[in-house]
Amino acid sequence: MAFLSAITALASALLLVQSPRASEYQLKAVFLFNFVQFVDWPAAAAADSQLPLVIGILGDDPFGAFLDETVRGERLGARPIQVRRYRQVTDIGECNILFISRSERERVPEIVSGLKNRPVLTVSDADAFANRGGMIQFIKDKNRIRLRINLEAAQAAHLTISSKLLRVADVVRAPTR
Amino acid sequence: MALRDWPIKHKLTAILLLISGLVLLLTSAAFVTYQVVTFRQTTRNNLSTRAQILAANSTAALAFANEADAREILSALKADPHLVAAALYDKDGHLFATYPAGLAAAALPPAPQADGYRFQPGRLIGFEPVAQGANDRLGTLYLESDTEAVYDSLRLSGIIAVLVMGVALLAAYFLAAALQGRISEPILALAGTAAAVSERQDYSVRAAKLGADELGVLTDAFNQMLGRIEEQERTLRSYATELEQRVAERTQELEKRAAELQAANSELDAFAYSVSHDLRAPLRSIDGFSQVLLEDYAARLDDAGRDSLHRVRAASQRMATLIDDLLKLARVTRAEMRTEPVNLSRMAQEIVLDIQRATPDRQVDIAITPGLETWGDSRLLRVALDNLLRNSWKYTGKQTQPRIEFTAVDENGGRVFAIKDNGAGFDMQYADKLFGVFQRLHSAAEFEGTGVGLATVRRIINRHGGRIWAEGTVGQGATFFFTL
Repeated sequence: MAFLSAITALASALLLVQSPRASEYQLKAVFLFNFVQFVDWPAAAAADSQLPLVIGILGDDPFGAFLDETVRGERLGARPIQVRRYRQVTDIGECNILFISRSERERVPEIVSGLKNRPVLTVSDADAFANRGGMIQFIKDKNRIRLRINLEAAQAAHLTISSKLLRVADVVRAPTR
Repeated sequence: MALRDWPIKHKLTAILLLISGLVLLLTSAAFVTYQVVTFRQTTRNNLSTRAQILAANSTAALAFANEADAREILSALKADPHLVAAALYDKDGHLFATYPAGLAAAALPPAPQADGYRFQPGRLIGFEPVAQGANDRLGTLYLESDTEAVYDSLRLSGIIAVLVMGVALLAAYFLAAALQGRISEPILALAGTAAAVSERQDYSVRAAKLGADELGVLTDAFNQMLGRIEEQERTLRSYATELEQRVAERTQELEKRAAELQAANSELDAFAYSVSHDLRAPLRSIDGFSQVLLEDYAARLDDAGRDSLHRVRAASQRMATLIDDLLKLARVTRAEMRTEPVNLSRMAQEIVLDIQRATPDRQVDIAITPGLETWGDSRLLRVALDNLLRNSWKYTGKQTQPRIEFTAVDENGGRVFAIKDNGAGFDMQYADKLFGVFQRLHSAAEFEGTGVGLATVRRIINRHGGRIWAEGTVGQGATFFFTL
């Protein structure tokens, strides 16, 4: 099963660091999928529970096949989970979680303001993403992946982040633009 | 001592104690069992609740691989000293975090087992799924608790049960000792009264009544019974006293009369004896001188004179016999009694031989039942038997085939001797006159005799405490019966 192999990858990412890049993005793919469980979108965004839950990637895709393998066959309740890839902010239609690739790191403020007030959870491993209006930033810390969360940005988008998720993350306070 | 010999009060106390002890034992056992079962359930539920909370809190730590946070969450368990180990396994079954921090991996199950909680010797273990949302399993939480708490509970319940049992049994003993008296005391009172009655024959005592229950009814009945017995005893005693008094009076009277009779009798006997004795001397003179006249003066007398003298002699000889008989009768009354075993059959045989020698010309058929024995004075009995047999011999004198029997029959527990002949017999009308002195049913011309013999026989039989009577028919014989 693809999912199990993803878990195996997660475990090896935790224990082994021989191929840091591959394991790092394997782990990040799992984390992206896990956000589904710990974030509540406003009722309007999930009005029809049959609609797919969309994880989007903006810019270059660093995951390769990892993310597709991770979400394959998974559902949130009755909602299937889909992965979509975007080049432009304007391409983004219905989207719940948006991973902003490092390739877009210069345009983060624009992207963030372009999504302003839309219930999209923005995630990136770009430097200072959380301080620049992004919601969740992946930080590397001694071969571990840590989370930094800009709670106000999430709240402004009417997203509710589980306190359990906040517990395992650093919370920063930065003004949203 | 066997249980059935115990005093009633001990029996009652023992029964009450036994019952209350059994009830207490069962109740205590139920209490302890309930306590332990409940406590096990509670312990399991507590562990399950705690595991569910911990599992819910651990989801993010597992989802985002934060071991530090996982350890921190588990470290909250240190508040419970009974929780000896805990661990989080990730989705893949690998050990992710442990509690306490330094616990060796060997002390924990290498991989999660089936979800659920189970008691093992000395510990309670549980596996709780860690899941966020409905269908996403993130890992497994393992908890291990020692069962000291269960044992503590068992010990506490046991101590409480033993204490309660002890106190309750003690209370039951005192209550039983105090209350058994309600039942045992009336019974003891009854028993004591009964013992007093049977030991001292004292019917005047009464049992104390201590209540109106069945024992009270029993006591009343017992007392009534005693009352009736006492009354009857009193009546009986008064009857006895009266009777004794009457007997004493009657005895005195009788003794007095007997003494008078005795005196009169002795006087009469003495008189008869001296008269008979004194009569013999002139009689001998009459006979003697008549003989002298006949021998020396026969030639001078004519036939009429000699005939008269013969008649004088015969009469005087008859009179001598009569006097002899009278003296015999008197002697029978005066003689001392000597009691010894007597064979009447042999005695009768000897008498018959004597009679046959005296009158060899007569042929009489004699039948004597052998072995008839009795107790009595042999001298007197010989006189009586001699009289009776001679009587029969005499009165069968006119029979062509005379027969005399001497037999005995056992009747009403006593022996009745009988002498039966087929002689002249007598008229039953005069049966009571047979044994009177000088009472004769036949004339001297028919059968010679003095009329003293049967009187003598009756005296002898009477002196032996016996009875004599006769049955007969004229011309057909007579039977004389006597008892001794």
